[in-house]
Amino acid sequence: MAEANQYLRLQLGGVSYLLPGGSGYTIEQRENLITNKSPEGNVAAWQSLRSTRVPAYCLDAMLRVTRHRNWHRAVFLEAIPHAVGLAVDEVQLLPRADTIITSFSPLGHPPTRQGHLFSGAWVTGNHLMLVFNPKAIVAYLQSLGDA
Amino acid sequence: MKKQRSGPRLHSLEVPLDGCTLLVPSASVAEVINMQKLAPVPFGEPWLHGAIGWRTLAVPVISIETLFGAPAMTRIDAAKIVIFYPLSGRKDWEFVAMFATAEPRPQVLDGSQPVAKSSELLDSPYIAAGLKVDGRLMLIPDFEALKKAFYPA
Repeated sequence: MAEANQYLRLQLGGVSYLLPGGSGYTIEQRENLITNKSPEGNVAAWQSLRSTRVPAYCLDAMLRVTRHRNWHRAVFLEAIPHAVGLAVDEVQLLPRADTIITSFSPLGHPPTRQGHLFSGAWVTGNHLMLVFNPKAIVAYLQSLGDA
Repeated sequence: MKKQRSGPRLHSLEVPLDGCTLLVPSASVAEVINMQKLAPVPFGEPWLHGAIGWRTLAVPVISIETLFGAPAMTRIDAAKIVIFYPLSGRKDWEFVAMFATAEPRPQVLDGSQPVAKSSELLDSPYIAAGLKVDGRLMLIPDFEALKKAFYPA
């Protein structure tokens, strides 16, 4: 189980983003999900939970919806009224001691009602990975609809 | 012989942009670095081109030409990145960077440089004034207006 100060690295279309471990998530294998066979719609797959099904979306490096089959896992972020999923190319729980997060906020107007999509960054030399603001990324995924 | 008007000397940097030149206080600039790979910042403003790792910080990089409403730089690969200290009242990690087409050059202003007419300036709320330095127009950014654009309430 991830701790609050651990980070999950999510690779989307060749770019890695970090998700704070304390944000609450589960990882599901693709074979446990119901793939959206229709080329229409934003949803890549659904997780079936008792009386409901929870959508998962494929995003590219710029977080735009895309549809491809090169993913093997989806990360479901806890949310109300139900979790919401993100299909990822790769997922890796980073060792706690290796990840030093610095504050970062994009400039300008936030794109979601929950604020900016990013709230920090992990800087190593000239390279950086942005850290998702969990509430904002959930709000963005929820805005993509259930179909 | 006519004595030249002179006042307090203000150390400035002229920052060459694509199609215009910016004039900023030297003290506002933390460092000028070579272009480096930017991390994308999805769903950012059109003038926000990404972020760089600098020292231990993540610094957003803007195209001020885009913010001014002018066409964006066409040869970003040839650019320098000018890193500004945080704007007044902002947190100490909130550095902001912008593209420049070449290395900024120092300019010492002494009050003798004529003020540009408003008709000569770009029509942008982010430009406070302009000066003619050696006959060349240099635009002085309105940092308060920039702060409102960068950090809207």
